[in-house]
Amino acid sequence: MDMEHRRLGSTGGAEAVLGLQPNSTMSIAYHSLFDSHNDITLLEIDEKLVPDILQQRVTIRGQPDEDAVLCTQSKTYALKFVGTSNSVFLIPPSDKAVEECNEKDDMTIPVASVIKVAPGSMELVEVAPKLDKLKFLLSQNPYSFVEASDMDISHEREKMNTGLYRWDDLADKVQASNEELRSGLQALLAVEIDGYWRVLDDKYMDMILNMLLHDVILNDWSFNALNEDEVLRALETDGFPCNIAMHCLKVYGNKVEEHIGGSCMWRLEERRVCVHFAREILKNGKMKMETFMAEWIRKVPDGMHASFDMLEGEVLTEKLGIETLVYYFSVSSLPSTPAERFNILFQERQKWEWKDLQPYVRDLRVPGLSSEAILLKYTRRTQPTVDAEPVFSAR
Amino acid sequence: MQIQVKCSCGEGDCPEWAILELQGTVEAQPSFQNSLQNLQIGILCRQSQENYTFSVGYHELTGTKVKLKKPMLVLKKIKLQNEEEMGERDVNSLRVELDVIGIIRHKILFKTRPKALISKPQPAVKEKVTQPSSTVPN
Ligand SMILES: [Zn+2]
Repeated sequence: MDMEHRRLGSTGGAEAVLGLQPNSTMSIAYHSLFDSHNDITLLEIDEKLVPDILQQRVTIRGQPDEDAVLCTQSKTYALKFVGTSNSVFLIPPSDKAVEECNEKDDMTIPVASVIKVAPGSMELVEVAPKLDKLKFLLSQNPYSFVEASDMDISHEREKMNTGLYRWDDLADKVQASNEELRSGLQALLAVEIDGYWRVLDDKYMDMILNMLLHDVILNDWSFNALNEDEVLRALETDGFPCNIAMHCLKVYGNKVEEHIGGSCMWRLEERRVCVHFAREILKNGKMKMETFMAEWIRKVPDGMHASFDMLEGEVLTEKLGIETLVYYFSVSSLPSTPAERFNILFQERQKWEWKDLQPYVRDLRVPGLSSEAILLKYTRRTQPTVDAEPVFSAR
Repeated sequence: MQIQVKCSCGEGDCPEWAILELQGTVEAQPSFQNSLQNLQIGILCRQSQENYTFSVGYHELTGTKVKLKKPMLVLKKIKLQNEEEMGERDVNSLRVELDVIGIIRHKILFKTRPKALISKPQPAVKEKVTQPSSTVPN
């Protein structure tokens, strides 16, 4: 038999290879469409992700200038190409549409066809979602009181439409799974307005909160038992749309119980309200501690108690001679990738005591890395004496 | 940009593909290198329950069927170039989908160095063992 000139049909398939019986033989050949499949890639995945993929709950996300990630409903994975020097012959199942050619009477053994020699495969590495980009996108065009009150000024429309993102736009632009994106929006206190996800500008938030607190006093309501319907009605009368008023309740309060007498009840959270006023006061820069505390306590509504430990992760203090200065430095304004976070932290201060550092790093998450490992990787820990507080500095 | 990963095979019905994996590369004779289609690579033989051989040209490899630690999906990129859609929307709307056309759970792996077979006719395809002797006459 002259193998040199023997060209075989491509009717066999993977099932013949995998089902080959002991003491049997088959031929392996190049497929009639060999090499025309540069659009085929292999992706290695955990068995537990197979159902997600087959049920079409998985997308690849990324802009052309970003490394693509694969997102399931809840997680984000980097795609890593792993090459091989082996010859990996890919054999598809037989194409049942193609009937055996009748001229193959001389062939006594089945044939399986190789469609491609795979140069390697993609692997998945779980990564943190790229939520800093979400923060950046939403910060481009915060929703303001001016926009809320100007109902329809068409020449303004165009300007206002820049930096506006619907859910689908965000999913297109932000490398995060749907769940991560949703909790990212929640963490940024974003709200959906006319189909676009927005953050409210500080001034607007301040106005609504002050109006709400004013209404509480006016109507003799309790911070711990705010009737949702009554609050929304009052704020609407004051000129705040229902969805914005609702957003205010979510940002500064928690739902206590579902439906007392047909209406939801809310409790204003003391800490969140107090932190808001501290932030407002410190907007213009550093202040002497005593001045700050006096003004803060004065601003906080009656019935709420401002205490300095509420400001963990929100403010820092520094000594200036005998004075202590306090200034706004919020963890929420810092990047979420550890390298960038520590970079900024060590720019701010060369040395950190653990009690100061902890509020600024406890939210850092790196898949596969514990909090201790993150610290070890990005900081140098020194402890002057055994019972002294450990001090962290840059690596 | 989002690329939907789809499986058009129907629920749980994605067909199994197979991999034949061997060390090094397989090289066709120069006269066939540009037209490999339909060309025979070698003969696969299951000699016993466990042992497989793969004869490529003068060489024989021995191997076993192994279950992959993690399955592999065979993805095919599909460009959805709907012209009217292209007209209305910007370049970002050049939509692409990835279709899962197969799943691989097993491969037949030949880990051994090839063993020379004697007195066989000149094959069209050979295993590249040492040097690619491109001077082999047809
Ligand atoms: Zn499929």
